[in-house]
Amino acid sequence: MSKTKHIFAVLILSLLGITLLVSLSKLPNQFEYANSIYHHVVNNSITETGSLNFVTAILYDYRAYDSLGESTIIFGAVSGIVLLLSRKTLPVSSHGLSFIVKRTFGMLTPFIFLFGIYIITHGHLSPGGGFQGGVILGAISIIFSIVYGSEFDYKRYSPTTKTLLETSGALLFIGLGFMGILLGGNFLMNLNILNAEVGSLLSAGSIPFINIGIGFKIGAGLAIIFYSMIQKTFKEEVDL
Amino acid sequence: MIILKYLLLIFVMATAYLAITFEEELISIIFLSIFSIILTTLYLIHNAPDVALAEAVIGAGLNTAIFMTVISQVREGKDSIFREDD
Repeated sequence: MSKTKHIFAVLILSLLGITLLVSLSKLPNQFEYANSIYHHVVNNSITETGSLNFVTAILYDYRAYDSLGESTIIFGAVSGIVLLLSRKTLPVSSHGLSFIVKRTFGMLTPFIFLFGIYIITHGHLSPGGGFQGGVILGAISIIFSIVYGSEFDYKRYSPTTKTLLETSGALLFIGLGFMGILLGGNFLMNLNILNAEVGSLLSAGSIPFINIGIGFKIGAGLAIIFYSMIQKTFKEEVDL
Repeated sequence: MIILKYLLLIFVMATAYLAITFEEELISIIFLSIFSIILTTLYLIHNAPDVALAEAVIGAGLNTAIFMTVISQVREGKDSIFREDD
């Protein structure tokens, strides 16, 4: 990189830093939030949504519309990557890694799956939620591709299944949103389907269902991204 | 606790610097993974377990796998996906 480019980069970065510092100093003091929405959420979140985890309550109840937008962004990314990368649908695969790694991951993978499901379904009780658990579920497909070869991934968990899972997750989310309108409320309002006492698994209205929908959507979407990237990588090793 | 916090902050800066300075991409990816893991600990210390979980899963797990795949595809040279149809 030449010297003028260096000077240009330093100039741009220092301008960006000054802009960020100025806008950071314009932020209100943390003690000025006394009568703002933050107190409302902290005080009334449990009675209004039934979710012990306030972050999940905000993400999938108060601001569920934003989460819908984020899932749409993921959907757009998946569509773009698949459009760019998958010109051939046939799987070409390596034979995976050694026998020891295959056996070890054969024992580990069910527990990784269980952990992902736990993170998704307990999103309203403990840290986590649809996004995090969904990425863990997507990691299982990555393990399949790397450890057992993408041929195995194609056979056990085909692209059709992934597409089906992603679409059904998105449809569950949007369907819950339209159920709110049909029942006479707002789009994506909390339907109070599960109304056990706060702190149990079957509580928090429709938040667990939205968690499950987002979890399957994100997991299958990331699996599709990884599969469409890896499917031609090991081309020379094919002698199946 | 406060000493641990500043130590971790120094490590975050060190790993970020090392990740951008190495010529070898593989080492950069590994340093980026370490960066994510230290950042996870920092989020946990600051009482944000949700963000910590997301950072651990996405930053340390998924990013590393995807970057490794990209590296292996770019290094293939003549078998690269972008040159196959020529």
